[in-house]
Amino acid sequence: MSSITPEEFVHTAKKFIELSDKFFDSWSFHQNDNDILKTYVKKEEFVNHRDEGEKVFLYRAEYIIFYNLSYGVPSFSFNIWNSSGTLLTLEEVRQMSLMKISKEDFYSVITQQEHPVMHRPYFIIHPCNTEKILLYFKHTTKNLIVTFLGLITPLIQLNLPLEYGL
Amino acid sequence: MLKSEEKKDIIQYVPFMSFVHPSFWHSLTEMKLNVDKLNESTKQVFGRYSYRDDTVSVFEVDGTSFNTNPEIELHYINVTGTLMNKNTIEDFKNIDKASLINSVGEIMRANIQTKSWIDNPNNLLNFFILSFADLKKFHYYYWFAFPAPSQPIVCLKEKCQNISTYFNEKQIKDISKSFQVLETTQKCFFAIIKNNDTAEVVKLSKILDKNSKELKINLTNTFFAFADHSNGPNPGWPLRIFLAALLDFCPNLSKTTIQIIGIRCSKNGSLTSSQIYNITVPEGVQTPENIGWVGWERNDRGNFGPKLANMSASMDPVKLADTSSDLNIKLMKWRLVPDLNVDVMKNTKCLLLGSGTLGCHVARDLLAWGFRHITFVDNGKVSYSNPTRQVLYTFQDCLNGGKRKAEAAADNIKLILPTVQSQGLNLHIPMPGHPIGESLKQETITNVKLLTEAIESHDVIFLLLDTREARWLPTLISAHYGKIVINAALGFDSYLVMRHGISSVPKETSMNSSYVSGDQLGCYFCNDVTAPGNSAKDRTLDQQCTVSRPGAAAVAAALAVELLVALLQHRLRVKAPALYNITDEDIDSELQGVLGPIPHSIRGFLHSYQTVLPTCTKFKQCIACSQVVINKYREEGIEFLMKVFNSGTYLEEITGLTELQLTAEMTEILTFSDEDQENTDDA
Repeated sequence: MSSITPEEFVHTAKKFIELSDKFFDSWSFHQNDNDILKTYVKKEEFVNHRDEGEKVFLYRAEYIIFYNLSYGVPSFSFNIWNSSGTLLTLEEVRQMSLMKISKEDFYSVITQQEHPVMHRPYFIIHPCNTEKILLYFKHTTKNLIVTFLGLITPLIQLNLPLEYGL
Repeated sequence: MLKSEEKKDIIQYVPFMSFVHPSFWHSLTEMKLNVDKLNESTKQVFGRYSYRDDTVSVFEVDGTSFNTNPEIELHYINVTGTLMNKNTIEDFKNIDKASLINSVGEIMRANIQTKSWIDNPNNLLNFFILSFADLKKFHYYYWFAFPAPSQPIVCLKEKCQNISTYFNEKQIKDISKSFQVLETTQKCFFAIIKNNDTAEVVKLSKILDKNSKELKINLTNTFFAFADHSNGPNPGWPLRIFLAALLDFCPNLSKTTIQIIGIRCSKNGSLTSSQIYNITVPEGVQTPENIGWVGWERNDRGNFGPKLANMSASMDPVKLADTSSDLNIKLMKWRLVPDLNVDVMKNTKCLLLGSGTLGCHVARDLLAWGFRHITFVDNGKVSYSNPTRQVLYTFQDCLNGGKRKAEAAADNIKLILPTVQSQGLNLHIPMPGHPIGESLKQETITNVKLLTEAIESHDVIFLLLDTREARWLPTLISAHYGKIVINAALGFDSYLVMRHGISSVPKETSMNSSYVSGDQLGCYFCNDVTAPGNSAKDRTLDQQCTVSRPGAAAVAAALAVELLVALLQHRLRVKAPALYNITDEDIDSELQGVLGPIPHSIRGFLHSYQTVLPTCTKFKQCIACSQVVINKYREEGIEFLMKVFNSGTYLEEITGLTELQLTAEMTEILTFSDEDQENTDDA
């Protein structure tokens, strides 16, 4: 079994928030007592992006990690918007990416869809590969969400404090 | 005018940069549509800014801004403001911005003069949003103002200094601790009193006596403090109104140096990056009789003007449906067929002749493949027997005599995807051997003209009609214009799906060739040796209307659309070759497209669940697509067509089919001789 149960996810999420608080990272825990599948962790931060012309743009990024029932793994979703509240397109997000990744590869991993918890359009990293990779780490990692975030970080600018002990 | 040396020292405040989160527009929209409607009265909103040293100078509003009580967030100051949402863009443009900010300023001045700010210091700050929401387009025009008096003008005595130049480590810790426990409503503006080895945070009401104009405190060890959003050498905007209030309360302050601390905190709550500003009030630059209010925000171009939030991509349900359905096609490209051309489907215009069972299914499959231009043609009305099989219609369409099919189909497909461009043409397609009476002549001419224009203006013509002869005219006109034709026809438990070639000049194909070039493929009539006559004649009722197993139409329609897409995705498009024998074995990549090899025709039999893929070349005596017929049509036009409609045999005569049939009958007789039969078996 490589997947985790919703209960395991909630437990891992709580532990993750303890770590986040300890390192003054700003992840917050959003528990839904009526529907365990609607429990998630979230972080919002400002992101400075310098374009090729060295012009600096300010964006707000929102990251949400929720439980994906079909795959039994944590799922990562995000939205990035500018100062007027307009969401960036996937192509704009791709161009901000730290890692130079081909268009096809990027698009095959990230798609925009209606968020199963937030019910608005979000970019969601497709969970099909998550299961395989997490299986590899499941018994060795201190916190599955930390490991999971470490895998995603190269795709989008996500400042993960080193203290998490990756 | 100011002297230049004084100008240098005049304080520069760091303005707020408004930052709107999408949830603000969601809440505003909901409120406008469900609560306010046409009511334009202003409403209270909350905004917030952070005094963290690692964030930029932004002033944020979001969905919680409309709450009755603001959400408390760590290291943030909540500010109460006003939203004025106008009903029209004209009102938004024409409102006098200067008097608007002055009217807000007057309320703030009253707050300063009544000294009520001393008890509630956070109330000194204020903001204003003027907006107009275009809820059809999800465009939001908005303009923030952070009102502050233009006077007094003050100067920085020296460059700002870090808090540690005045306070030791322990004192800074004292300040952090007492600041943490300060009530949230006091955190924006307060005072710090420095003692020998300690420092404490005090509320303004502790040191400012509302009934006295004099300060009864020692100014040398008193620092006025404010939550500073700036992280550069200049103080943040809130100091401007704070100084105005302080100097109004105690004008004598202008005679001394005012010590100000800009509180800035790091993410762990430490205040070590806070700054100290020493402020002096120069004489002679104040003009008290003409104090105005300033604070409209500059837009992205650096001008004083409104900003625009175009939220349609994430809020307009029509846009969301459009992009989401496109996404399905794109996913196919990204994950499975990297060479798939997504735009070709979007840009190809499809004309569906016949809007019955086949037409409805074809339209839905086209939609799924990303086609966005679909025109329906039919001359019938939706009847009660239709909706169960003809998947675009509902019971409602049958009422009151029934809607016209072509129009109902176009309307209903837009209910599925509003961005699809679709229309219905209600017209009857004239047929060979169905004589036109004098009374219908003019109408027939009009219909031919409409059909011709429709074929000319589309890229792909689907023949989805219920009789054989109705396919003749569109086959001819499409061949004339060289359009892609996809033909689907149903029997009771069999179906035929095929594509037509476009060349009217047949080329000799080598017997050894394994394929036929796409333009040399036969049309629906090429394999027939009789001209279409009245096929509904001498038939029982159940034969006159197409009765077929319901799945036949769904299968045939799906194959028709798949055939078209495979063709469009092929490098040679309509000229894409058709193989005589399509097998699972490796096929020369030259002979197939990104979606595989493309057959000429598909004949399926539901009875035995079998499919065969016959490939046939053009027939040079074809009654629909041969050179002689096309030439006649080009030369004589409607007159030629009229002759065809009125005579069941005219086509056979001009193509020489009559002659051929006679020869064929002879052959038939010969084939049935016993001798020949044996010879054939031997071969």
